[in-house]
Amino acid sequence: MPERLSFHIKRDSALHHLNPLTKLLLVLTLILTAFLAPFYWTPHILAVLFIPLLSMLGKVGREYFSTAIRLILPAATFLFAMQAFFQPVGEEIIFEFYFLDITRESFLFAFSNAMRIVVMVSAFTIFLLTTHPSELMSDLTRRGLPGQFAYVIISTLQILPQMQAKAQTIISAQRSRGLETEGGFFKRAGALVPLIGPLVFGSLVEVEERAIAIEARGFTSKHVKTSLHEIPDTSTDKLLRWFLTALILASIGLRIWLS
Amino acid sequence: MFNKIKGNFNTQTWVLIPIAIAINIAVGQIVVLLKLPVYLDSIGTVLVAVLCGPWAGALTGALTNIIWGLAIDPNALPWWPVAFFIGYMAGRMAQWGFFKSWWKVAVTGFVVALTAAVVSTPIAVYIYGGITASGSSFITAYLLQTGQGIWQAVFSTGFLVEPVDKITTAMIAFAIILGLPKRTVGGYPKPEQVEVEGGSKNELYIALGVVVLLILIAAFVLRGILGG
Repeated sequence: MPERLSFHIKRDSALHHLNPLTKLLLVLTLILTAFLAPFYWTPHILAVLFIPLLSMLGKVGREYFSTAIRLILPAATFLFAMQAFFQPVGEEIIFEFYFLDITRESFLFAFSNAMRIVVMVSAFTIFLLTTHPSELMSDLTRRGLPGQFAYVIISTLQILPQMQAKAQTIISAQRSRGLETEGGFFKRAGALVPLIGPLVFGSLVEVEERAIAIEARGFTSKHVKTSLHEIPDTSTDKLLRWFLTALILASIGLRIWLS
Repeated sequence: MFNKIKGNFNTQTWVLIPIAIAINIAVGQIVVLLKLPVYLDSIGTVLVAVLCGPWAGALTGALTNIIWGLAIDPNALPWWPVAFFIGYMAGRMAQWGFFKSWWKVAVTGFVVALTAAVVSTPIAVYIYGGITASGSSFITAYLLQTGQGIWQAVFSTGFLVEPVDKITTAMIAFAIILGLPKRTVGGYPKPEQVEVEGGSKNELYIALGVVVLLILIAAFVLRGILGG
């Protein structure tokens, strides 16, 4: 169980050295173009060509592909199958299986939709692989994001693995006392209370203590806080951000113009 | 407006939000493990909403889906507006005094479910073309096969699935608040919203009656949507 939920891999690459905000804008651009660009092939080219190249550029190619196969591909395939079979569009049937059928239109629709989801998730994956969460948060705080938001994100990433570990402990403990977590519906529903009760009450008790602790460390103080790490923001970053903004506007414009 | 939003957030709110997000996700996973036909992935959101206010609840909901989507299941990501409005609506209902006894909590759950169904419909239609990656899409697919329009089919599915889930969620959240010491509850911005009203012995029976009534109303409305 990792101490903190983070995908970040420390490497020395062009992507790692970009400012976090630039990378966030890059992710947004990729998603918006995939969803908005009026050409059928846009999401496919982005997913198959551009994003793998981007992961190579960030020197996280191996990690990216393993995540893609383990996480992204199954989700996309499932979505594709659901939509291809159940989307009620089109006449021309190209595949039949008992009462299920795939038409040409539903096949194309499902495929491009799955690809869009792949683009969305892969873009975020590469972002998370090359950006440390605290780096992102301190950069955004410097730009005016309230410190409380940064606290919420960072501490969620810390608490979540702890909570999951705690849940696992509670499940094992209750099972060893003879709690049945399998079997009939009412047995399983009855198991809910002894499992989530200790978990929820146990974590809510900590709230007051934590609040006093961070209050004592100037959590609500209005003064500007200094940071130990300086996050670079070069002129290349600024140029790239203008370029990406232009791309987003262009794809929105094309969409409106062509439809 | 801005001051009202600010009133939702004190230090204890900020500390509760990450814990609530973790509760959402951890309980959601326990429910999957128990193979129960509900999600129960917004207990933390409802807790924050009734103890701190609608805006804090909305923030918790949205962040839950964003973090869930980025870290565990990418398909959770597009649904953040639904979680946002679940938190917001639960907070509003609590503000109107609907979180003080079992039957009122059931009504809150029902209203929240309705909100969730309404907000999730355009997302399902525009992003997924009606068929999402969730199991309830089999109902949508069936309704589409019977010749329903896509909007009716998707909305009816939400209307069928949500109430059970959200009423249970609201009731569990209420049970948790009942179990918390008064001192802890008092530290949040809106402790007066969860002051339990005069305990009649028939409380639970009234609540059950209300739930049955709500389900009947739901069935009636559904018949209206689907055209008899």
